[in-house]
Amino acid sequence: MDEIFGAPGQLLASTIRNATPLVFAALGGMFSERSGVVNIGLEGLMLISAFAGVVGAFLSGSAVVALAFALAAGLVFALIHALMCVTFEADQIISGTAINLLALGGTGFLMVSVFGAGGTSPRVEGFGEVPIPLLSSIPVVGPALFSQSVLVYLMYVMVPATFFVLFRTPFGLRLRATGESPEAVDTAGISVGRMRYYGVALSGLLASLGGIYLSMGILSAFTENMTNGRGFIALAALIFGRWNPIGAAGAALLFGFALAVTFSAPQEAIPNEFLQMIPYVLTIVALAAFGGRAIAPAAIGKPYRKE
Amino acid sequence: MSSRLRRALVDAGGALVFPLIAIVLSFVLGAFIVLATGNNPLTAYAALVRGAVGSPTAIGRTLLGATPLIFTGLAVAVAFRAGLFNIGGEGQLYIGAITAAWLGVTLGFLGALSIPIVLLACVVTGFLWGAIPGILKARFGAHEVITTIMLNYIGIYLTTYLALKPLRTEGLVPGTDAIDFAARIPFIGLGLGRANYGFLLALVAAVVAYLLLWRTRRGFQIRAVGLSPGAANYAGMGIGANTVLALAIGGAFAAIGGGVEVLGVYGKMTVPFVTGLGFNGIGVALLGRNHPAGVVLGALLFGGLASGAQEMQFSTDVPLQLTSVLLAVILLLVTATKLVELLFGKRARALAGARLEKGLG
Repeated sequence: MDEIFGAPGQLLASTIRNATPLVFAALGGMFSERSGVVNIGLEGLMLISAFAGVVGAFLSGSAVVALAFALAAGLVFALIHALMCVTFEADQIISGTAINLLALGGTGFLMVSVFGAGGTSPRVEGFGEVPIPLLSSIPVVGPALFSQSVLVYLMYVMVPATFFVLFRTPFGLRLRATGESPEAVDTAGISVGRMRYYGVALSGLLASLGGIYLSMGILSAFTENMTNGRGFIALAALIFGRWNPIGAAGAALLFGFALAVTFSAPQEAIPNEFLQMIPYVLTIVALAAFGGRAIAPAAIGKPYRKE
Repeated sequence: MSSRLRRALVDAGGALVFPLIAIVLSFVLGAFIVLATGNNPLTAYAALVRGAVGSPTAIGRTLLGATPLIFTGLAVAVAFRAGLFNIGGEGQLYIGAITAAWLGVTLGFLGALSIPIVLLACVVTGFLWGAIPGILKARFGAHEVITTIMLNYIGIYLTTYLALKPLRTEGLVPGTDAIDFAARIPFIGLGLGRANYGFLLALVAAVVAYLLLWRTRRGFQIRAVGLSPGAANYAGMGIGANTVLALAIGGAFAAIGGGVEVLGVYGKMTVPFVTGLGFNGIGVALLGRNHPAGVVLGALLFGGLASGAQEMQFSTDVPLQLTSVLLAVILLLVTATKLVELLFGKRARALAGARLEKGLG
């Protein structure tokens, strides 16, 4: 077994590292979709934030500034999506696709403008590992779970936090209602448009945490198209987890495990390509098994217009 | 003027409102981006146009770039007519590409005779691959937007595996064996550079798509299902079968696009292979209002921008990725119905015809 999976501690650590950006983006997608706005632009939101974070670190040398840059970039791109989908009533799938292309083209353009060449950015100081005292000295599990970047710890906190916000606060109730029955929300005197802006904005902020973890948590540089489909895996995790924070995080961990095995398993055992397919295949199987109906928020994908 | 011709002209004019507004707005935005890089937008755009249509070689480059986009655009448009979003063009194109890379080498001894056989095989594999999300939707109710996205990556990894393992050849660039030159799609010549007859095939495909959708009983059914599923079902048209068929036909179009890229441009499938053609096909289709003629125009615009970008980067120092940004902005704006209404009043929006609207439930 060890030949395929490597040492258990290492595999667990790698699973966590691979799952972290997926968890952030999936939780982000959840806020958007629960409010009724499909967000297939998670990939682009992560990519632009991964880039902005590196630019921030490059200019200032400070991780805090880098984080601020990433959050701002994710927020701006998310607000473009909200502006298109909510205010201009554009098609949400198309807007999401455009966000992805805009992030891909935009980062390519800015790589040349800012760093003078495409490809990979100069190295910046990344988020180092911060072992938590005591917890990190638990055998096997300790170093894997508690000797990670602060962003990973933030991810641990974010899962129950999003669950709490979504299911235990008035804001969460309104957000879910906006995705299920916008007419009722409107009748109750709450602005459907504003709730959707909040949902999409939150998706941008959370996805940007996933993005900056890619460029500055796992690596210390930006590489063009470095998200490489992770936004879509996060979308898959969101659906596989049935639009629930715990479910989405669980699915993201499962998909992170598949990615971790991809990187550690020798080619002769299982071709990498088949391992990389796992998240996508599982999601299709799950969609077919659930019947695809009555799981997604009821009003998802439809612009809301007052009669 | 006959009333029929007049109506057709008004329809065409209305159909062009959204795309034209989107294009103009994105170029205005692009001008500010060019200004920010310290260049003159007029010089940059002049170079862009020169690079797109300024010489026979430039035109050839534009046609070369437009060719696969016509196919992937049709893949989106045909499905869209049945009320379905086909985001799977990328994966479908890869399936066609690997089919052509494999059969093109295997049947290479037949020379030019192999070309139609290979392309027909692309139709078959693309049709079957495209039918998967159709079946998943018709049989299990799985939404095609999600399944086609997932199938993109499954298709990309599957073809990567095939190109790197069973079909891998010795050489510096990882990928399949090169196809014999006699078995490739020939260049058009006429000073058009590397433009090949694949462009003419793409035009034929657009005509076929038009005839299929507007001149056959099946096409009528597909459009009826798209316009009014309830009524189509009541008329006994079978929503399931038409769903599967529309997505499968779309898959076949995208796959020929992949085949034409391999047979006409690359001669093999490398890893990584050309990316983004499937996703840009979505923009092409929407810009062309999901009509085959519009798809051809949209693809020419996309191809022209990509071709002109090289000249623009060469004569000014604006990075060629600017055009990717412009295309993304066009796509962003092209369905923004309310924006048109805000800018030009309700009449413009009414003129622009039926709105796009689709749920994910």
